[in-house]
Amino acid sequence: LCRGGLAERLCRLQNRERSAISFWRHQCISDAKIPSDKSGVLIVKILEMFEECTIQVAICQQLEQSAAMLSSEDAVVNAGEPILKVLFARETAAHLKSRPQDVIHIYPPWQKLLLKNADVPVIMNTYFSQKVLLSEHSETTEKTYGLTKMLIRKNITSLAQTFRLDDLNDDLCQESSDNQVACAPQIHNNCDSKEQSAVNDSLLEMVESQGAVGWREVQVRVVIQRVYCLPAREGYRSHIQGNKPLRATPIINSDPPNARLCLLVQDAYGMFSEVQLQSPSSADDMEQYCSRWEGKFCCLAGMKILQRTTRGRALGLFSLIDSLWPPVVPVKVPGQSQDSEMITTNLTPPSFCYILTAQSGEIHVEVDEQEQISNLYQPPAVHALKDILQIDGCNERCSFWARVLYLRLQTKHNVPINQREIWLFVTDSTLQNVVHMTPKVVAVSVAASCVLGTEITEALSVASQLVFFKDALWGNGRIICVERTVLLLQKPLLYSAAGADLSELTGPVRLDELDSTTQANSVCAVRGTVVGVNESTAFSWPACDRCGNGKLELCPQDRGLLYCNQCSEVVVSPVLKMQLEIFLSCPSRSQSIVKVKVWHKISFGLFVLINMLLSLQSYEVQSVLGKEVGLLNCYVHSVTSHPNCVALEEIVLL
Amino acid sequence: VPDDLLLGLKFIFGPSAVPALDLVDQRSVTRVTSPNGRTAYQVLGSSGKLYTCYSSCHFCTCPAFGFTVLQKSESLLCKHILAVYLSQAMGACQELTVSEEQLTSILLAEEEDEG
Repeated sequence: LCRGGLAERLCRLQNRERSAISFWRHQCISDAKIPSDKSGVLIVKILEMFEECTIQVAICQQLEQSAAMLSSEDAVVNAGEPILKVLFARETAAHLKSRPQDVIHIYPPWQKLLLKNADVPVIMNTYFSQKVLLSEHSETTEKTYGLTKMLIRKNITSLAQTFRLDDLNDDLCQESSDNQVACAPQIHNNCDSKEQSAVNDSLLEMVESQGAVGWREVQVRVVIQRVYCLPAREGYRSHIQGNKPLRATPIINSDPPNARLCLLVQDAYGMFSEVQLQSPSSADDMEQYCSRWEGKFCCLAGMKILQRTTRGRALGLFSLIDSLWPPVVPVKVPGQSQDSEMITTNLTPPSFCYILTAQSGEIHVEVDEQEQISNLYQPPAVHALKDILQIDGCNERCSFWARVLYLRLQTKHNVPINQREIWLFVTDSTLQNVVHMTPKVVAVSVAASCVLGTEITEALSVASQLVFFKDALWGNGRIICVERTVLLLQKPLLYSAAGADLSELTGPVRLDELDSTTQANSVCAVRGTVVGVNESTAFSWPACDRCGNGKLELCPQDRGLLYCNQCSEVVVSPVLKMQLEIFLSCPSRSQSIVKVKVWHKISFGLFVLINMLLSLQSYEVQSVLGKEVGLLNCYVHSVTSHPNCVALEEIVLL
Repeated sequence: VPDDLLLGLKFIFGPSAVPALDLVDQRSVTRVTSPNGRTAYQVLGSSGKLYTCYSSCHFCTCPAFGFTVLQKSESLLCKHILAVYLSQAMGACQELTVSEEQLTSILLAEEEDEG
C-alpha cells in the first residue's frame, strides 16, 4: 500500500473501527442494561427487510421515545414518524438476527446519507447496533419465525445510471429498482454456534466470498500434497564464529528456528494453495511432518490471505505445482451443483495461487492423520539420475535417491556462512554402471533457500549418506535444491518409482577420470607423473592431534606450547600438516598443465617427497620429478584455456 | 477526504474498498478516449494485468467480477470498477487518447485465456 495514501488511511481506520466494534459487542454481552446516555442514539423499528448484495436493508421507522415505553402490540405505523432505510453489514445482521417489528438501537458513530433523488435517508456504518428485546415479545417471535425465512433479494441497478457517467445511452434497458426477485430460502445463522461450521471443499469460493479479512467459522477441506520448510523472511542469523576455524566444526550451520513449515494443498476442484504456518518450527520436524501429513486430508479454518501470486511471479512455486499437474483423479467443475460432472481432460495448468497464513498466530489446520491417503495425492516420482540428466525441459521438479560422496561449501565474499551455497556430489547405481557419455558423479547445488534440518547437515558432514532429494529443480544441465526442495535421510513411505533402478551401489565408487571434458566445480580422479613442484606455495603448520584443528595458538602461560581452542587444551604432540602444489602430466588430458594441491595427511606417498623438500631444505629436484602419482580423487577448482591449465585439490570422499 | 467518507466506503463496498483506494493512490485508472467520443477505462491491477471496465454499464474483465458479482451476486462491483468511480470523483484518472481501431480492440479483447 502507498504510504500516506487513502488505502493506508482506511486500513488504519478500519482496524480501529474493528477493535471498537468487538469491544462494544463484548460490552453488550456482559452489560445487558441499556445505557442511560441517549445522545446520538438512533432508535428505529423495522418495518420490512430484504437483502441486497450481502447488505441487509431494513426499512424502518424512527422512534422518538425509548423502546421501553412502547407496548408490544403497537404495530401501527405512525404516519408522522420519519422513515429511514437502515443498512446493516452482513456480520451485524447475523449478530442482530432482527425481524420486522424489532426495535433496534443504533449507537454512534453511524452515518446518514442523503441521496439526490431519493426521499428516504440512508443510515450506514451501523456496526454498533443492539436489538431491544421486550420480554413479552421474544417467545412469541421465536415461534412465529422459523429458521428458514424468505429474504427478498433485489436486482442490482447499474451504477452508471445512478452516477450519470458519460456516454450513458438512455436507450439501453436498465433494470428498474422495482424488480423484486424472491430467491430460495436462505439460512443466515453463521453466528449461531461456533461449532456448527460448514465444511466447504472449494478454496476459491471461500477466498472470493470472504475477502481478505479472513475466514471465520468456515472450514475448507483440502488434500496436503507437499510439506516443506521455507526460510524465514527476515533472513538468517549469521554464524561467523570468531576464532573457531571452519575445518573442525560441521561445515554447514543450520539454524533451526528460522524456518516456517508450509503445506501445498489442493482442493476438490484442483486448485492449489500454499499455507504458511506461523509457529516457528524447526526443519528437523519436517521429516516427521512429511511422513505423517503428506497425502492426508486436512481442514483449514481462520486463514488469512497473504498474497495472490501468479505464475510469472513465483516460478519456484509453480514449477512444483506443474509437477503435480494434471490431477490424477477427476476434479470438480466450479459453478455446478453438487452432483457436478468431474472433468479430467484438457485441464489447463493453474495460473494463480493463493498464499494463506493463519490469522493472529493461531494455527487452524487439522490434519486427519488417521484417515487414508487421498486419491488426489501425487507422491513424488522417483527417477534414476541417468534419466534426470536426460530430461529435456527447464525448471522441472524431480525427485531421486542418491549417495552423497563429497560436500563442498562454495565460499563467496561478504556472504554469511548460513547463506553459502553447498555443493553435494552424488551418484547412484545408474550413473556408476554406465560407461559412455554420462558422468559418474553429478553435482547438486543446495541453495541457502533450501532449508536443511540439523540432523541431515550433521549426517552429511560426517559420512557418506543416502539422501532422498524431493522436488529438486533440473534445468540448464544442473540439479539445484532451492525453496520447496526437501532433503530426507529416509525414503518416503509413498513414492512412485517410474522404472528407476534404486538398487544399492555395489563396489567402490568410481569418479570420472580427468579429461578434456572436465569442468570446474566437479570431482574427478587423476593420475600422472610429477613434472614440477611449486615451492612458493608450500607451507606446513601444526594441527591438534585430537580434533584436527589447524589454527592453534600459543599458550598464554607458556609461550613454548600450543593451545587448541576447540578442545580447550594444550596440544602436546601436534601433527604437522603440509600443503604443496605439484604439476602433473596426465595422459588423459595431455594438453593441459595440471596443478594439484596435495595434503600431507592424505597422500602418504607424497609425504616423503614433501618432507624432503621442506624440512631438509636440500633436495634434488630430479629425484622428485618423474614420480608416478596414482589415482587421486580431486575437486576441480578451475579450468582455464589460456593458459591451458586445470587447478585441482586433492579431496577425501566421505 | 474525511475519515467518515472512507469508513462509509468500507461499509458499503466491503472488501473492495481498500484495494480500490490503493488503485486510486497508485493512479492505476486510465480513461481511454477515441476521436468519436467513445470511452473505456483501463485499470492496472495488482498483478500487473490490465483490466478493462466499461463506461456505459457495469462491467469489468477481471475474474473477481465474473465470479463475485455476476455469478454469486455477492458484491455490487469489483475493486477495479470502484477504483474507476473513485478516480473519476477525485479527478485522479489518467487520460489517454487512442484511435478508433485501438479502442475497438480494447473493447473486444475479452477472449484472452486466463491460462
